[in-house]
Amino acid sequence: MVFDALGAEAFRLSKNRLTVFWSVFFIPLLFALGGVLYHLINKSQGDKLAAGAGLPTTPTVTPVNLAEAITFTANLAAQANIGGLILVFMLIAGATVYAGDYRWETWRLISARNDRASLILGKVGVMKILAFSTLLVLLVAAFVFYGTQAVVFQRPVSFHMSGAEALDALLVWLLSYVRIVQYGLIGLLIAVMTRSMMAALFVPLALGFAQSILGIPPFMALMKLHPDGWAAQLLLPGMAYDTLKTLLIPGITQVPITSAALWPAVVSLTAWVLLPLLGALAWFRQQDLSKE
Amino acid sequence: MNAVIETRGLTKTYGDVRALDGLDLSIPRGGVYGVLGPNGAGKSTLFRILLGLIRPTAGSAAMMGGPLNDISHMRRTGSMIETPRFPPYLTARQVLRWLALEHGVGATADIPHWLARVGLTEAADRKVRGFSVGMMQRLGVAAALMSRPELVILDEPTSGMDPPGIQEMRALIRSLATEDGVTVVLASHQLLEVQRVCDRVAILNKGKLVREGTVSELTSVGERLRLAVSSADQVLAVLGAKGVRDGEAVLAEVKRAEGPALIRALVEANVDIHEARWVGTDLESIFFTETGAVQAPEADHGV
Repeated sequence: MVFDALGAEAFRLSKNRLTVFWSVFFIPLLFALGGVLYHLINKSQGDKLAAGAGLPTTPTVTPVNLAEAITFTANLAAQANIGGLILVFMLIAGATVYAGDYRWETWRLISARNDRASLILGKVGVMKILAFSTLLVLLVAAFVFYGTQAVVFQRPVSFHMSGAEALDALLVWLLSYVRIVQYGLIGLLIAVMTRSMMAALFVPLALGFAQSILGIPPFMALMKLHPDGWAAQLLLPGMAYDTLKTLLIPGITQVPITSAALWPAVVSLTAWVLLPLLGALAWFRQQDLSKE
Repeated sequence: MNAVIETRGLTKTYGDVRALDGLDLSIPRGGVYGVLGPNGAGKSTLFRILLGLIRPTAGSAAMMGGPLNDISHMRRTGSMIETPRFPPYLTARQVLRWLALEHGVGATADIPHWLARVGLTEAADRKVRGFSVGMMQRLGVAAALMSRPELVILDEPTSGMDPPGIQEMRALIRSLATEDGVTVVLASHQLLEVQRVCDRVAILNKGKLVREGTVSELTSVGERLRLAVSSADQVLAVLGAKGVRDGEAVLAEVKRAEGPALIRALVEANVDIHEARWVGTDLESIFFTETGAVQAPEADHGV
């Protein structure tokens, strides 16, 4: 039953080309094109400066490590610019997937022949695939960025990453993925409760914004929250995310954290994934679907 | 009786309003079953409960011999509730493909066949955002039928259709029952349509069942012989209290067995009989009598 719902949702989303383009391809494409342009302009400026100073434009011998593309993508959710934009576009896609059947009044077509939990889990599955695809396409875009750097500046290419570095990148990548899914699931809960696409988009965004504000040290001090404590970690899943990342790779963020925060952070991330999902399932189970 | 739908004391309340009030209904397998009633009678509420869209406040219901929440039973049912709507970016063919996958018949659904059967072959690759209400209705019916269900529930299946469309839909519904062996349960406001297409009907009013039976059973009650004659007065004299003037004709309240003798008597009395035919009470009259709805001076016969 879940597989029927998943297959149907995936089919339907594949025909919604605008949503797929904006959520999966737009930001990576922008990043790749911007990267190419950035390197070309940099090269041109450098050449001009060198020519003006009468210096030869010799190629840099330091190789471009393409493995950095993997680390870059793994850290996606920590990057306010690209990570934030990816999240916004994923939430737009999430609002379409999660609230579309209310808007188009199509629940009554599908809910009579599949159980409600499967219908919701099918949608969640599709959003997970979409988030995964976005990260993969961004990885490709990151390779384009680093590859272009090598081509434009005529630098050699290398690919080196130790096993430990690869494991760290994988774990951080998983954390970033969970963070995107987590916001999507908050969108799901809001979509089911309000039956509104707009609410499914803007409530998680507002929540994310509020959490980022509350995570600023002066606010935390004002609320008498300690970054290591249960209250701060449970209230602010963004902080839990940063905590886990810092514990995985010391120094990767500026969060002053100790190992005491590990379990609160794990519990926080898990709770912020499971509670919206379970809440949405429970709400949807008893929902009157004759009024959409 | 081998029932496909059975309700016992089915009740649904919305605040103080009782949309269904202890409904006991048994819909037999086979044929076309019509559910009639004025607005607010509980038809749509009944269908929505049967299809699991809403939960009853009290009572129980079974479909295909199983409880309502049993998906394996529900999967043997096709449905269309009111005018269906679809994601606007999909074509008609994609809508059916999507719903076939959703309903677990992605591999077996013969989509071109069902598009043809509802007359949408030419529009198959057009996006549904440009579809008329009638076309949406046809697509909804195709979606309800493509999994080859044993039971089909259709709420106002001809709503928004033009007269040829209504005629095609009527033929499709009849063929589903007679050729495909599907039990069709439909709700409609178009009483003449229901009389033409249904084998049995139930009339609901204020959430309760007020009449149930085959169309012929219901309409034969109060059956009369209508006689178009040269002299109505002469006939009325023969019939006495059993005769009622109906314009230039006379309605004779006699049993079928008494008909030939009456005609012989009138012929012997030198009355010219231009036409003699049995007329029953039509479904529309029964509907208005049973539901207490006010009949408009020129009632819409629905076609």
